[in-house]
Amino acid sequence: MAYWEPIRELGEEPLVQPGSKLREVTDDIACVSENAAPRGWWICFLIASSFVGVFTLCVAYLFYRGVGVWGNTSPVYWAWDITNFVWWVGIGHAGTLISAILFIFRQRWRTGINRFAEAMTIFAVICALIFPGIHVGRVWVVYYMFPVPNQMSLWPNFKSPLIWDLFAVGTYFTVSLLFWYTGLIPDLATLRDRSLTKWRQRIYGFFALGWRGSNRHWRNYERAYLILAAISTPLVLSVHSVVSMDFATSVIPGWHTTIFPPYFVAGAIFSGFAMVETVLLIARSVFKLQRVVMMRHLELMNKFLLLTSLLVGYAYAMEFFMAWYSGNQYEMAHFLKNRPTGPYWWAWLWMVIPNCVVPQLYWFKRCRTSIPLMFVVSILINIGMWFERFVIIVSSLNRDFLPSSWGIFRPTIIDVGTFVGTLGVFFTLFLLFMRWLPMVSMTEVKGTMPQADPHRHSEDEGDHDPVKIADEEPSGAGDLVPEGAE
Amino acid sequence: MSKRAPNPALPPEIDAAPEFPKGHVDTPPSDEAMFLSRRGLLGAMAATFAVVGAEGCRRPLEKVVPYTRMPEEVIPGVPSHYATVIQRRGDALGLVVESHEGRPTKIEGNEAHSSSYGSADLIAQASILELYDPERSTSPRKAGAPASWEDFEKELGAKLATYDKDQGAKLRLLMPPTVSPTVIRMRAALAQRFPKARVHTWSAVADSNARVGAKAAFGEVLNTLYAFDKAKVIVSLDSDFLQTESGNVRANKLFAAGRRLRSSRDPMSRLYVVEPARTTTGNVADHRLRLPASEIAGYAFALAGELAKAGVQLHDIQDAAAKAATGVKVPPKWLSVLAKELVQNRQRGVIVVGSRQPPEVHALVHSIHVALGAVPGVVSYTAVADPDELDVATDMKALTDAITAGKVEALLILGGNPAYDAPADLAFPALLAKVPFSAHASLFVDETSQLCTWHVPRAHEYESWGDAQALDGAVGVQQPLIAPLYSGRSDIELLAWMAGSKETSAHESVRATVRGELFASKNLTDCVPFDQRGDAECRDTAGNVAHAHEFELDREWSRTLAMGVIRRPTVFKAPSLTLGGVSSAITGRKTVVRGPGTFEATFAPCAKMVDGRYANNTWLQELPDGVTKLVWDNAAILSPASAKELGVENRDFVKIAAGERSVTAAVWIVPGQADHTVSLTLGWGRKGAGRIGNGKGFDAYPLRTTDTLGFAAGVTVTKTGDEPYFFAQTQENNSTEGRPIAHEATLTEYKAKPDFAELETPPPRALPLWSQADYSKGHQWGMTIDLNACTGCNACVIACMSENNVPVVGKREVWRGREMHWIRIDRYYVERAEIGATAEEPAVIFEPLMCVHCEEAPCENVCPVNATTHGPEGLNEMAYNRCIGTRYCGNNCPYKVRKFNYLNWHNDAVWKETGGLPETLAMQQNPNVTVRFRGVMEKCTYCIQRIQSAKIKAKRESRDLKDGEIRTACQQTCPADAIVFGDLNDEKNPTAVMRWTKTDRRFGLLAEVGTRPRTMYLGKVRNPNPEMA
Repeated sequence: MAYWEPIRELGEEPLVQPGSKLREVTDDIACVSENAAPRGWWICFLIASSFVGVFTLCVAYLFYRGVGVWGNTSPVYWAWDITNFVWWVGIGHAGTLISAILFIFRQRWRTGINRFAEAMTIFAVICALIFPGIHVGRVWVVYYMFPVPNQMSLWPNFKSPLIWDLFAVGTYFTVSLLFWYTGLIPDLATLRDRSLTKWRQRIYGFFALGWRGSNRHWRNYERAYLILAAISTPLVLSVHSVVSMDFATSVIPGWHTTIFPPYFVAGAIFSGFAMVETVLLIARSVFKLQRVVMMRHLELMNKFLLLTSLLVGYAYAMEFFMAWYSGNQYEMAHFLKNRPTGPYWWAWLWMVIPNCVVPQLYWFKRCRTSIPLMFVVSILINIGMWFERFVIIVSSLNRDFLPSSWGIFRPTIIDVGTFVGTLGVFFTLFLLFMRWLPMVSMTEVKGTMPQADPHRHSEDEGDHDPVKIADEEPSGAGDLVPEGAE
Repeated sequence: MSKRAPNPALPPEIDAAPEFPKGHVDTPPSDEAMFLSRRGLLGAMAATFAVVGAEGCRRPLEKVVPYTRMPEEVIPGVPSHYATVIQRRGDALGLVVESHEGRPTKIEGNEAHSSSYGSADLIAQASILELYDPERSTSPRKAGAPASWEDFEKELGAKLATYDKDQGAKLRLLMPPTVSPTVIRMRAALAQRFPKARVHTWSAVADSNARVGAKAAFGEVLNTLYAFDKAKVIVSLDSDFLQTESGNVRANKLFAAGRRLRSSRDPMSRLYVVEPARTTTGNVADHRLRLPASEIAGYAFALAGELAKAGVQLHDIQDAAAKAATGVKVPPKWLSVLAKELVQNRQRGVIVVGSRQPPEVHALVHSIHVALGAVPGVVSYTAVADPDELDVATDMKALTDAITAGKVEALLILGGNPAYDAPADLAFPALLAKVPFSAHASLFVDETSQLCTWHVPRAHEYESWGDAQALDGAVGVQQPLIAPLYSGRSDIELLAWMAGSKETSAHESVRATVRGELFASKNLTDCVPFDQRGDAECRDTAGNVAHAHEFELDREWSRTLAMGVIRRPTVFKAPSLTLGGVSSAITGRKTVVRGPGTFEATFAPCAKMVDGRYANNTWLQELPDGVTKLVWDNAAILSPASAKELGVENRDFVKIAAGERSVTAAVWIVPGQADHTVSLTLGWGRKGAGRIGNGKGFDAYPLRTTDTLGFAAGVTVTKTGDEPYFFAQTQENNSTEGRPIAHEATLTEYKAKPDFAELETPPPRALPLWSQADYSKGHQWGMTIDLNACTGCNACVIACMSENNVPVVGKREVWRGREMHWIRIDRYYVERAEIGATAEEPAVIFEPLMCVHCEEAPCENVCPVNATTHGPEGLNEMAYNRCIGTRYCGNNCPYKVRKFNYLNWHNDAVWKETGGLPETLAMQQNPNVTVRFRGVMEKCTYCIQRIQSAKIKAKRESRDLKDGEIRTACQQTCPADAIVFGDLNDEKNPTAVMRWTKTDRRFGLLAEVGTRPRTMYLGKVRNPNPEMA
């Protein structure tokens, strides 16, 4: 009877629905790619991929005519392009945070969501990287940003935060991809082993890198995963810190702020968690993953959102305080006057209310555990965090030092199309991921189940050693031998 | 190509040269060949060299050969400069035109000319674009269909032949006023052939009131010259003498000289302005009174009375003025203090009357000047070029009356556009259609051309020979810089042909005029033509026979062409005042009374469009108005109080009605506008200007009648309630928000605290991010901008566009904030009790701003690809090839002077519909400046191409650069000399800019950001009269 008891060091609550069997977990997750896609998936995919079409058209038009098809102007040289970039990079933060930092801190409740979050990181960073690529005036020479040796001995300017940014986001993307892929290997092997067709077997087999679940494999895998987690951990802090330096190292009031690195990191985690939650809630209901993504996970995420919301709110307040405390005329005019009462006051409210006020609901358990409410809140936070970047970028630029050069930014339909288009790109990639790859880490989820407890049988049978468990699962997570069949 | 007569712009010997096949000189005359072929262009260029070279005698006569063998002295890439002159209203502006391989590209002022003193204004700067306007007329047209010059000559020739019998009684000419002695001579020649023919004069913007006023006061029409540099007190009665009146460049130059402060010990003049609407002059006033234009005459009379009380002898004028001044309501100090100040500065006081004020005010002020003793110290008089020109409206009415009476069979209109701008009550367009034979010579097929039976293309001033007499009587010669791009002919050629003159080319006619001037300067009269040996017999003043030789003329001619102006001492007139004339003008005046509840509509020439002639000029369309900063439009200007009364806001439409005539225009509210007045500038809302000019702005002419050319009192203004209009502005915020960015002080404050500007600037708060470069060696370029001199006249903006190939983006893109001007003139309203400036009547401060070339440039640090870097001479340089357009530099520029090519502006903006920038406009572009493609950032370079060419020149001549040798385009054209550029590191010979950067008024704009700008500003000083407070 006690085999569904939680593993003690993981907390009092079970992380997988009590009574679940290893086989059920494998089936639940792997069958998504084996069965025909549910109708809901197709509907989502059609919608998302049509937005990819919108995106392609907008970008084609952008390349054909120039950046002027957007609403960017002087003084607002950066507008939605960089807002979207920072927003997407921010979203990309939760993945690594959940994967790496929570992994290192042994927060094993992460297992239900980490694969998701990592995939989201990859796709969000892809969406983010699109913007620096397409927003430049001359896209055909965008490679000047890279240190490519050339006959003119021209080198990028390493003083420029944009170059730091390029390397920071590039590194982050590479490490996240490796981390994600490493984690996928045992699960890919499971899919390979369950394959019924030749092509499936070949493709999954290719990516499974010959995983056979030997002890050596497991050892190397665990070590590699840990090392990558260790490499990723500082990156979580560094990427958005560096992104924030695009602004912090400038002279513009509203940008020239030392609080930006931690503030941006907190904001990124905040928005990343919100996006994970949005996507997770959809996937959970479409693919019926209640067994592994439990209310406990969601509640923990909501607590995290509350914490980061408070951090972000503190940063907002500190910006205002520092502007006043510095006595600097331009800073004061910007923070105390332009932000709340300037032409973008409404954007400022969209930033403050969803990011600081709405998450306060999560002080109440009833709110933390209400799925409709958390879905709405997660979307509001996504919007709020988009507006945070909009406020930082556009409302700082639109009124800087000389009142003569002040100007209003007005977005065009192409701005909207490009942004909505990247949402399409993101969700299309995500839907493809959910359809073809195990969206929850089977390996790790099983590790949190009572069956993984080396002492599981000691209480009732007393002779079940860990080796036996490994034997039960000859190809790692693959659950070829049904548990009950023994 | 059709066979046609030899080009009249070319002397016969060139035309006949065997090496020069006839076809080569021909320029495409027909509509089919809209743009020049390469072959035609080379031919045209070569022809220009030949003409200028041969006739200017500044280089040996050369045979015109294909460009594969390079003409001697023409070095590709090295521009040549030619002196010329263009006609302005009542004045001539001497210019130097830069020409690249036969393509004129840039206009500059001619230092030898007394009306420009080396500067030019925005109109002159933009005139180069008019030359290349792709929509200029390319061929004669009969009833709208393309025709040839031969057809025209045949038809008109036959007609003229029949007029010889009745001495041309049914022949009429209509011309704008002219200052060209040759045109006037040709007109006289025409009158000899057709004594009964009449030449009428009309221009929508003319000095008629001043002329009639001078005639009343002195019995003759005279030009008035003001020595603004010597004057202590200047009173402007509705005169925008710094921008839209005659002689504005000269006035600007002298006015700035009278207020130049090298130290706090220097004196400066004081300017009082009384005007209804803000003008350039009003904006720099020390005291400004907003008064409807119809009440300014009354104010002048009251001031005369006050002066008389203070002991100025005005004789019987005094009584007439006193009667006329009853019921004038102005602040009493504006009478007592001004009178006191004028009397205190008897010989140093000047009153300038605006051209729209009635003649009696002009006459009165002449008498005040004489009584004060200002003549000849600060006010002097010279002869006008054309004494026959008096009141153009009367003249125009005489023409329309004659047409109505059926007395006109043939009407030739040389220039102008009367169908668009004639007084509305004359219904000229309808009458023009009634004339059996009408022809219009014009640059464009405009509103008038469309109504005439014939249109013929007129040669541009840069394409033809001519001459023009300046305000002070100096005659300059207008040289062609390029053979006519299209088949245009000049007025001189047309008049000479009609008069049957023996002078077969304009060149010959102008040379003959110069010959006359030469003889006149030697006091020789009755000269016969030169004989075979070049000898001419004349009579001297005593009546004895004297000889003149052709070589003298040759020498004088070539000198004149080189200098642009005939060497001759200025002849001042010493007219005697006819007191009775003045008092009877005052008593016989037409009184204008504005009824209660009605408005006064004032009409002023537009600083950009003048009377509408430049409507198709993209540079001028996109130039922000000095006050409203509106582009591509004019607006009905209202004061805040009047707008409130009418319940209108910016962009709302109002209907301005005077009787049956009405105009609907969108409102722009300007503080400082007189209450109950609505101001419209002329020259907008055109229908026949071309693709660029059509339908831009609001046409004021339908309201303007012969009696109300300057202002119409008693109009009604009502809100229409239509959808608000779409305006585009380059500066949307009017206030400095209390920031220390545009420093100013009163003269008293300046004397007490000479370094006020620097004291008000916070110290740099940021330390340099990176180790500093060594700026102690070699040339270190820098600039100073004197806010005290800047009048916001906008000449520098156009000069910069012309020099640096700055593109035009169109109204919608300006609305987005994407205008490309490298230099902009920030205009802030100032509220300050010390100078009597309130929110309702704020003062104005202008701050020209271009890249300040920071030594610690924020843009450079952030560029990821090193596209903007610092040069060893302290320039912040842009490598367009390297720029990828991240725009980060633009964000990080605290001055926001970087401009981004969001689209391919040259092809993808205003000229999009024609498939890109027309080829002719490309001809204007400066080959020494890269034309920027889409996606790159650009900004002011301190005219680096000029720096480089001067350095190369100095190096070739093995010498050091001289101070003033390099002048940026903005500096060169600035009539106020507000901009000084030079080397900050010339220890041997301290440069002007070094001296200015050390003056007490200096401050670094936003220096507290730590940018260490190379451009230093000099704070503005106002000189209010403490007694006015």
